Amino acid sequence: MSTRRTRSLVPYLLILPTFVFVAAFTIWPTINAIYTSFFRQRLNVARFREPTFIGVENYVKLFHDPRFLNVLRNTFIYVLGTVPASIIVAFLFAWLVNRKIKGVGWVRLGIFHPTILPMVSAATIWMFFFTPDYGLFNTTLSRLGYQGPQNWTGNPHLALLAVMIVAFWKNAGYYMIFYLAGLQGLPHDVFEAAVLDGATTWQQLRYITFPLLRRTTLFVTTIAFIGAFQTVDHIFVLTQGGPSGASTVLLYYLWQIRFEYQDVGKASAITVILIALLLIFTVSNFMLSERKEEA
Amino acid sequence: METKATSRLQRWLWTLIAWGLAALWAVPVLWAFAASLRPADEPIKRGDVWFGSTLTVENYSRAWSLAPFGQYYLNTFAMVGMILGVQIITITLAAFAFAHYRFKGRKLLLYLILLQLMIPTTALLVPNFATIRSMGLYDTIFAIAIPYFGSAFGTFLMRQAFLEVPRDLVDAGIMDGCSWWQLLRYVYLPPSMPTLTAFALSSVSWHWNEFLWPLIVTKSDAARPLTAGLVRFTQLGEIGAQWSLLSAATLLVAGPLFLLFLIFQRRFIESFVHSGLK
Amino acid sequence: MSKRWLFTLLSLLLIGSFILSACGKATEAPATQAPATEAPTEAATEAPTEAPTEEPPAEPVTIQFFYPVAVDAPIADILKGYIAEFEAENPDINVEPVFSGGYGDTYTAIMTAIDGGAEPPAAAVLLATALYDLVNADAIVPLDGYLDQMEDKDAYLNDFFPAFMENSTYDGHIWSLPFQRSDVVLYYNADLFKEAGLEPPNSWEAWGQAAEALTVRDGDNVTRWGLEYPSGWPYWLFQPLAIGSGQNIVGDSDTEVYFDNPDVIEAVQFYIDLSHKYHAMPEGVQAVWGQAPTDFASGQTAMIVHSSGSLRGILDQADFEVGVMPIPGQEPDTYASVPGGGNIYIFKGAPQEKQDAAWRFITFLTQPKYAADFSINTGYIAVRQSAYDLDAMKAYVEQVPQALATRDALQYAGREFAVQDLGEVRNIFHDYLQKAYNGEMTPEEAMAAAQKEADAALEPFRP
Repeated sequence: MSTRRTRSLVPYLLILPTFVFVAAFTIWPTINAIYTSFFRQRLNVARFREPTFIGVENYVKLFHDPRFLNVLRNTFIYVLGTVPASIIVAFLFAWLVNRKIKGVGWVRLGIFHPTILPMVSAATIWMFFFTPDYGLFNTTLSRLGYQGPQNWTGNPHLALLAVMIVAFWKNAGYYMIFYLAGLQGLPHDVFEAAVLDGATTWQQLRYITFPLLRRTTLFVTTIAFIGAFQTVDHIFVLTQGGPSGASTVLLYYLWQIRFEYQDVGKASAITVILIALLLIFTVSNFMLSERKEEA
Repeated sequence: METKATSRLQRWLWTLIAWGLAALWAVPVLWAFAASLRPADEPIKRGDVWFGSTLTVENYSRAWSLAPFGQYYLNTFAMVGMILGVQIITITLAAFAFAHYRFKGRKLLLYLILLQLMIPTTALLVPNFATIRSMGLYDTIFAIAIPYFGSAFGTFLMRQAFLEVPRDLVDAGIMDGCSWWQLLRYVYLPPSMPTLTAFALSSVSWHWNEFLWPLIVTKSDAARPLTAGLVRFTQLGEIGAQWSLLSAATLLVAGPLFLLFLIFQRRFIESFVHSGLK
Repeated sequence: MSKRWLFTLLSLLLIGSFILSACGKATEAPATQAPATEAPTEAATEAPTEAPTEEPPAEPVTIQFFYPVAVDAPIADILKGYIAEFEAENPDINVEPVFSGGYGDTYTAIMTAIDGGAEPPAAAVLLATALYDLVNADAIVPLDGYLDQMEDKDAYLNDFFPAFMENSTYDGHIWSLPFQRSDVVLYYNADLFKEAGLEPPNSWEAWGQAAEALTVRDGDNVTRWGLEYPSGWPYWLFQPLAIGSGQNIVGDSDTEVYFDNPDVIEAVQFYIDLSHKYHAMPEGVQAVWGQAPTDFASGQTAMIVHSSGSLRGILDQADFEVGVMPIPGQEPDTYASVPGGGNIYIFKGAPQEKQDAAWRFITFLTQPKYAADFSINTGYIAVRQSAYDLDAMKAYVEQVPQALATRDALQYAGREFAVQDLGEVRNIFHDYLQKAYNGEMTPEEAMAAAQKEADAALEPFRP
């Protein structure tokens, strides 16, 4: 790296506008959330309306609450289910459409377009698809021989899967674009040499494509992971976190605690936990990619 | 000869598979389109879920009459445009600083800004609302836009793109006595335009679809974007789901974006492909 | 130093314009659109509300009125019409209606505004059951002061359907007045009943048997259900079963629930029986609330339990005779229902003169004339009893007799579920009710657990 070492103020001034907005709308409120998480404040209980310092009680209570632990469990299933699935499929899609195909632009658009649909709309359309008996998802599945329960949004074992399917459908196309970009940047000669050496498609993928796309994968993993924690619009539309909390994830729970239960202190504690989880993953992921880059 | 034949067969096969998958992926939106043209008094039922007996645009006109879509369109355009305009400036400058200079606290500042990538705006709804209030911006398009004026995602993307710019070019520029902004303008930016375009398109589609925050910080139709209008249809809490009407409203909201991407789809994909996001 | 600052600032601007002109299509839009953003300033939004009056008073008060839309009706246009008439009668008041999404969104918007230190709207329509949370948050004002000044206070209050006033009183005060109200009713396909020679059910057993008789199967596939009973908004649609069984889930107290009462447990069991014993209803939680009216109107189910607010949509779509009745009770010839929908509240954070103006607006809106008109145009139940004596209303119910049936169901209604800490207690109940519906727990286990957790949540509120 030959970047310029400088003592001038210019770089700071260049960063200033971005930093001001990030500080005002991300860093400050985060500090604020950490602070309030040490207080008891419940807006719908007259005598707890004013904040009282209670130390880490909010956290202790949360981690002893089976409901919260269930929410954490759902969140992990949701994230670990949607992220790898959509990334793998995104790669396969990219690999598929990165070849000479008639009307490839339309094919790409066909796979990509869910990305530009508002999540609320996407979920509303899927609400119909999940309708028992004649929703298209169910009719298609039963034509393929599926005989299981059909009330996807009402069944405790399927509700979380249902919201995951919608997220998967919506995101795969978005991540595909990044892989497509990565694939097109790969050196052709290496593959040609490999083909001459008689390497099979799988060997090419395994020994050339995957290693060369590591940075893309890191990038996509990071945004996919963050995205998975952040989207709840479809849960509002499809299941409202039910049945019996089976599809309640962290951010949805945060919303409930803050706006339905009016519990400011507990909501702040959940915010902090959410941020901590995201930080642990992204920072380690990012540092990993930076180290590789510098090596 | 034989290999040529198989390779043609193979290409055929791949085309078929790709088209099949794309069609499968598009079924939900295709269905929404069909349903939106279905007469409202023909409820969807078993074995009859696509088009109705005739095609009609009455759902669109009804949706249009239920919410001031014209105003919402203007607001959305203004909001998306404002965010993008400011973001392009802020991210370019910040990314340039991070890519070009070495200075004290560089890593720390970068990490601090990257925090924004990780922390969901929904989680910070209440404190941010208070900030908007104290700035006197409540119920303006500005209020929806301002938290996004700085973009960690954009800064990060542009930094990556700038890092790909060959060193020799930069050094040559410095030798020629370019000032920093000339360097940025003539050396760093031109090869990074695809990334900027890719970011622009991401930003537009993301903010076009933003839902909860606009609903909270605005209250009048004069400031509300399209998605806030959509709640009139998706939250019809006490009534039956009218798929035709819902589909029409959905397509009204997403329509311009679809059109935009349809027209520019080649450029869009290309720009992503050449954006150096790899 | 200052030179450098200036330079940087200038450069910022320069670069901005460079970039804007440099990247073509994607960024031309913002450049040309930017001026449009100036439009929605305070002045612009207030401009059209200046009422043309002959003798304008010194300073007209402008109040905001937040309302949710929860039915398929042009509520916005209807309200605009009322407001125009109100402003003509009251030139010193301007009303700015603000549509704020569904009930939940409206509530969140107002509470966020209050939290953020903003002035709340002077008046808003929120769920009648939001009462305790609103009072505890110190968000609303009691209406007694205004009511006491009325000459015909008792006549006024008594003219509201008593069922709609059930969640207006707390701590000895009246806090809200009914506005857009509905109840839970049973819709049945009268043609199918006639064909099968069945009478509208008058008890649980008759109901189950009728539903069973009307279910049509093609092999293993059901082609028509006897009954669809959504559980997407669980407590509300469940309440008529509990009431019909002899014990509502809530009493007069704001800190007591009756989840584990044997009658309530029987009610849960009956819901399950409709699927398991009578095989007349899809099994488990039926999450999609909105689908039931469509299924009913298209003949895919012979009966549904739903909100009276769906009446208009169903009548528009159905090509058969639609019957509407209260929910049958457990014993022969007993019935049950429960009211729902929104009341109007006045917010404390608004200045006194706005509160006063809001009160005048409320009394205007709750006149029988407007109650009737609102009911005719939306399908809601007119909140004033005397509204049904008006000619317009009489003509309407002659045409749509089902509208009278939704009103008449009110006489069997119990109190809608509202307690302290409603959000939490309601979620507890929903969780366990759905566990029972889905067969994850027996009704006894589920309701016992729900009672235990609800009691714990309510403990801090008990004296």
